[in-house]
Amino acid sequence: MSEPYSVLGVSENASDEEVKKAYRELARKYHPDNYQDNPLADLAQDKMKQINQAYDTIMKRRGGGGDGYNGGEHGGYGRAGAQSTGRFGQIRTAINAGDLSQAEQLLNAEENRNAEWHFLYGSLCYRKGWLDEARRYYQRAVQMDPTNREYRQALDYMNRGGYAYRTGGAAGMESEMCDCCTTLMCMNCLCGGFR
Amino acid sequence: MFGYVLPLRDELKVREMRQFQAAYCGLCGALSRHYGFAARFILNYDFTFLAMLLSCREAEPSYGVCRCPAHPFRKRRCCKETAAFADAAGYSVILAWWKLQDAIRDNGFFRTLPARLGAFFLGAAYHRAAAAYPKYAEACKAQLDRLQALEAADGDGLDLTADTFACILKAAAENGQGEDKRILEQLLYHVGRWIYILDACDDLEADFKTAAYNPLKGRFGLVEGVLSPEDKTWLQTTLAHSANLAASAYALLPARAWDGILQNILYLGLPGATRLVLEGKWRRAKRCPGEPEMHTSFNS
Repeated sequence: MSEPYSVLGVSENASDEEVKKAYRELARKYHPDNYQDNPLADLAQDKMKQINQAYDTIMKRRGGGGDGYNGGEHGGYGRAGAQSTGRFGQIRTAINAGDLSQAEQLLNAEENRNAEWHFLYGSLCYRKGWLDEARRYYQRAVQMDPTNREYRQALDYMNRGGYAYRTGGAAGMESEMCDCCTTLMCMNCLCGGFR
Repeated sequence: MFGYVLPLRDELKVREMRQFQAAYCGLCGALSRHYGFAARFILNYDFTFLAMLLSCREAEPSYGVCRCPAHPFRKRRCCKETAAFADAAGYSVILAWWKLQDAIRDNGFFRTLPARLGAFFLGAAYHRAAAAYPKYAEACKAQLDRLQALEAADGDGLDLTADTFACILKAAAENGQGEDKRILEQLLYHVGRWIYILDACDDLEADFKTAAYNPLKGRFGLVEGVLSPEDKTWLQTTLAHSANLAASAYALLPARAWDGILQNILYLGLPGATRLVLEGKWRRAKRCPGEPEMHTSFNS
């Protein structure tokens, strides 16, 4: 396994607090919610495993306990939720495996165009990058079966525009204020220096 | 179609701004060296973004000095050519050529005169680029033919037409290996989709005046060149979603070169451009880049 400090992007002399902060930032970046139903979800899961391993290794070396977020274990990267039987089960498997042409063939051949059909067609569209069409099919699925939580969640996800990771977004208030003061101090010194 | 993929300059470090300019000049040099003087004129920041993206696995770029025909009295700093920049130059020429062909097919003779002149001067460069990247040239032609057919049919599918341009950009990942190729393909697909839809939003009013094709007309059943607030909200959401998918794909690349600038473009530049176009402030922002209200805040 490659050097754990470089995986987290911190130096070997970083304090425990800095290591934790770097870990939290990376966990936010590669969180399953950012890769829901994403064709690259498997790569994100691998990345998250690497990050968790790196954090645990560092903490063990330093004698602390690892309290890494085991996001990958919660299975949030793929839409593993509901199960389907029969032909719809086959279609679901094909979509999750990334075999989109097979999934499309099976869906087009399927005569029973019920709520699940619309949901799965929406999933196929999402994987292809056809986000507008995906929402349309999810809307139809929710209309046909309003009680199904999976379809409702998928529609809500589309209406939110997925999840946005923003750099430097949800930092703690204290660190933000410290950074602000430090910045002002530095600017004062620098501007004074340049005059 | 081009000119939306830009960094949020206020949030770039000075060092990154200079590197970005060096990349721009570096691409210009690559275009001229491989494809002749006329090829320099197709240069834009979108192609620079493509060049930086294709380079992202490479080591930190090295810089040299070059002379710029547009600024003859001062030497410019430019990054040294790499294989990725040479590829990006080829793809840029092919893409620019096919966009000109598309413009020529769309309109009458006099309105297309600038495009015809452009195509005439770029012809030799295009043939050289198509010989070097035949698969990409084929993909461009095929997708633009598909786009023409969809425009003629004038249906109500937004994704279907956006898919053609998205696939053109996605094809530039052809030289990627393994996982990198998957990541780049998703990234470029969604940047392409974002560009196409944003361009449609920006050109909506003008397209209604000239009775030109615009996919939003059919999609939202518009009778005049104005989007309703609900339509704008959905467009904002779906554009943000594509930008998020591009950014989350980028996060999976162990990027080395140009990382700061690329992160700025994906996390800040694309959302900023979306907001400005949908609020109708894009053209003004480009003319007056210094006005503070034209720039999105860090947290929006």
